[in-house]
Amino acid sequence: MEATNSQQTTAARAIDIESLQRGQKLDMANETTCLEVNNFNLFYGKKQALFDVNMKIAKHRVTAFIGPSGCGKSTLLRSFNRMNDLIDSVEISGEMLLEGQDLNKPSVNVADLRRQVGMVFQKPNPFPKSIYENVAYGLRLQGINDRSTLDKVVEKSLKGAALWDEVKDRLQESAMGLSGGQQQRLVIARAIAIEPEVLLLDEPASALDPLSTLKIEELIYELKEQYTIVIVTHNMQQAARVSDYTAFMYMGELIEFGATDELFTNPAKKQTEDYITGRYG
Amino acid sequence: MVEHSSIGSVLPAANSPVAMRRRAWREFKDRTARYGVALGGVSVIFAIVLIFFYLLYVVMPLFSGADIATEAEYSMTENKAVHIALNEYNDVAFSADASGHVHFFDADSGKGISTPALPLAEDAVVRSFSKGDFSTGVMAYGLDDGRALVFKRDYKISYPDDKRQVTPLISYPLGERLVNVAAQDESLVLLTVQSNDEQTTLVGLTGKNTLAVLGLVREENFMDEDAFTIEEKRSEIQLSEAENITHMQMDIDQRELYLVDAAGFLIYYDISDITQPRLIQKVKAVPPGVDVTAFEFLTGGISILVGRSDGQIDQWFPLRDQDNNYTLHNVRHFKDQTAAIVALAPEYSRKGFLALDADGQLGIYHTTAERTLLVEPLLDNANAVMGLSPRANGLLTLSNDGKAILTALDNEHPEVSWHSLWQEVWYESRDKPEYIWQSSSASNDFEPKFSLSPLTFGTIKAAFYAMMVAVPLAIMGAIYTAYFMSPKMRTMVKPTIEIMEALPTVILGFLAGLWLAPIVEGNLPGVFSILVMLPIMTILTAYLWTKLPASFRESIPDGWEAAILVPVVIMVGVVSMLMSPTLELWLFNGDMPRWLDDIGVGFDQRNSLVVGLVMGFAVIPTIFSITEDAIFGVPKHLTIGSLALGATPWQTLTRVVLLTASPGIFSAVMIGLGRAVGETMIVLMATGNTPIMDFNIFEGFRALSANIAVEMPEAEVASTHYRVLFLAALVLFMATFIFNTVAEVVRQRLRVKYSSL
Repeated sequence: MEATNSQQTTAARAIDIESLQRGQKLDMANETTCLEVNNFNLFYGKKQALFDVNMKIAKHRVTAFIGPSGCGKSTLLRSFNRMNDLIDSVEISGEMLLEGQDLNKPSVNVADLRRQVGMVFQKPNPFPKSIYENVAYGLRLQGINDRSTLDKVVEKSLKGAALWDEVKDRLQESAMGLSGGQQQRLVIARAIAIEPEVLLLDEPASALDPLSTLKIEELIYELKEQYTIVIVTHNMQQAARVSDYTAFMYMGELIEFGATDELFTNPAKKQTEDYITGRYG
Repeated sequence: MVEHSSIGSVLPAANSPVAMRRRAWREFKDRTARYGVALGGVSVIFAIVLIFFYLLYVVMPLFSGADIATEAEYSMTENKAVHIALNEYNDVAFSADASGHVHFFDADSGKGISTPALPLAEDAVVRSFSKGDFSTGVMAYGLDDGRALVFKRDYKISYPDDKRQVTPLISYPLGERLVNVAAQDESLVLLTVQSNDEQTTLVGLTGKNTLAVLGLVREENFMDEDAFTIEEKRSEIQLSEAENITHMQMDIDQRELYLVDAAGFLIYYDISDITQPRLIQKVKAVPPGVDVTAFEFLTGGISILVGRSDGQIDQWFPLRDQDNNYTLHNVRHFKDQTAAIVALAPEYSRKGFLALDADGQLGIYHTTAERTLLVEPLLDNANAVMGLSPRANGLLTLSNDGKAILTALDNEHPEVSWHSLWQEVWYESRDKPEYIWQSSSASNDFEPKFSLSPLTFGTIKAAFYAMMVAVPLAIMGAIYTAYFMSPKMRTMVKPTIEIMEALPTVILGFLAGLWLAPIVEGNLPGVFSILVMLPIMTILTAYLWTKLPASFRESIPDGWEAAILVPVVIMVGVVSMLMSPTLELWLFNGDMPRWLDDIGVGFDQRNSLVVGLVMGFAVIPTIFSITEDAIFGVPKHLTIGSLALGATPWQTLTRVVLLTASPGIFSAVMIGLGRAVGETMIVLMATGNTPIMDFNIFEGFRALSANIAVEMPEAEVASTHYRVLFLAALVLFMATFIFNTVAEVVRQRLRVKYSSL
């Protein structure tokens, strides 16, 4: 029993290491900080969901949050664009800085913040509008209704989300007619159309088939040139494949944070190792 | 498997008797449920179809034409008849000939019943005959010595051995005597007579082209009913030589005298004052080359029918102009016959008539409905007289070759046509064609006015004002409740509004009519002030709210901000009501309803404003509840997706939520509309039920549903009125059916378009 298990682990690790041959080593010390979390606590009513989280997220890198269900990784992700505000009785303490500015200050306009910090959810959620209107939605919210501008941005965003070739002939058709993977890329196109600084991806591929997942992962790899990406995933291979940095969370606490190569090959904490080798989760 | 069974499964082994029994029982329940549900669904559809077909079954006879069938044919030796008539049961016929003999005979066989002798001298020379009004049975013979005999046919009905026996007899309203109409040396070439209990009027045309008018007014001694004196009034009208009179008729009320001359002129005299007859109008009634060949009053004595030599029949009646002068107007034509009209027979109690032409064709018409119910060949010899039975279900014709035909007429509902139901109809004595609903009156010769237009208009008006109140309030309330309100507040608000739906509408109608209507009338400026100030103050309060210090605003839990509107609403209501008398004094001279009347806007206490408010109140829960569900049901991931793109809650609402909820909102409005259209008790109790066609909010209306409720109990079963009410029900049924079908089709399409995952 034991033997089989460790064999499997070794096999998994071998795959990981192979896929992680990505050139020079990454170090937080050399990065520009985009998001900074200082002593962040979050409560759902009386229940505390995040405990004293401290973290820096590097600009134009992909940071993955991993951890078992209910560990608080999605809660933390949603805090970056204050989606938790929508839930009654959420209370927070501590700081969360975007480009050095506390994003929880009362003076911050939530709508503006969310334009800067875009988000893509687990389940594709295109609006019941045409493909074109879905992508143009965020621009129209900002009062941009000029047709030629919109045309340009829609094309650019759809190309950016690697969807253009598939939908360019049917932009006026309903987005509801697209496949799940296409819908998810449409939602990403919609998010990047408003040129956010940060893109939050909440398990973006968990509802998709393997082929669509692969496309999304390739897309994430391309998007990090322009955007700071934070991704929550259950799939450790995915985290290993797409991310530069990985944060492992457990029971609302940040257990370990580091460069992905480092964290997967040489975890500093026992809990991390247990999780990535499949002991629990 | 082995391991598993060793633990001991709780399930019986497959195909064991227990398993099979359980499976059979489960299948039985499955099947029963399936058939039960199917049966329920099919019966609902069947019931609706049944209602539809029952309504249709009751309504259809309205639109079927007339039928004739020959009942008896026989030869009569008496063949010089100038007039024949049937009694109510179509069994006893009467004929009067040109020489002063009358004869009662069996209508089915021609067998004589009695031949009463009239008190005419042996050597008396009869020159003219007049039959008075059909319904009175009064007739007169005019002699060549200027005298006339007035007599009346009558039927005595007795029931020996429980069998009906009709005994015909002749009576004499003026006694068995001849009256002097004209001077002794003048013969009565043409005669017309009308008689009732109080007065008998005779007008005779003498050989000298003079009209002799004689009125005999019976004055009862009020001490003794049997003692009476007869006062004679007379006058003469000298006609010009050019006026060669061919027809002469007097109306049943003995006020109007119409003459037709050979040149086709219609001459209209007012003889209401017998001593001073007045020529009102002389008008050419036919185009050149066409003659007037028949001339009769329509029942009621208002309209006259002019039968022409080209087969056309015109209806004329006098209209009063602004200066109180009457002039004749030709209001309708019937052009379905081609040969000269030789005889016209008006029905006794309806505005219909029969026309016989020179080709022997019989036409059955109805004037109000402008309907030609039948044109069919009846006779081969057009030299005939015809007598219509009082119930308009039998016709006796007698040709001058002695051939008599008794025809049964089936003509139950001539009064209704598409035209009379939905278009403007020129009713008797109205100065222009109008939409009128007036289904019944006390008198028999009343012209029923069955226009569904004002009723349908009333229904639409009621629904319109109710929806004006209900749609904005219900939809905006639903949006707030579903989208902005805190969940805790929502759990209280939603059931409260839904409970409003349980209020019986009879209570709402009662409150509207007896409580709200007087309040609205007494505080009209206040009510309008509320309607205007409430939205303004709400928006103002919302604006001021945003200006309050943030610390205070944040101390109020999310979704409870609306509570600050409660004092605002109460304040606007109280202040408006307190201000009402002052406003009324300042702006409306102290009495707004009168002020409205003065500027030409009619005001009723029970008006559309009251109905709009109360029926709006009744419809709100329906629209609110469905809209709220639709908005609340918009998937959260769409709302969140929109917010995550930097949309404000308002942008999310208008661009995503309402769009996605639109099928539900649409069907909410349509169902609300269906309810407003079908609503009965409120419109019955809170409006004056006046069937007017005026969109004025201060006046009432009569809705289709209320009309059915009011009139159905008093409508005689299977009468035209009864069937028209069923038609109104069918119209309502169709309207709601169409509304719901359209709503469902549109909703399905929207749902496909805006369906979300």
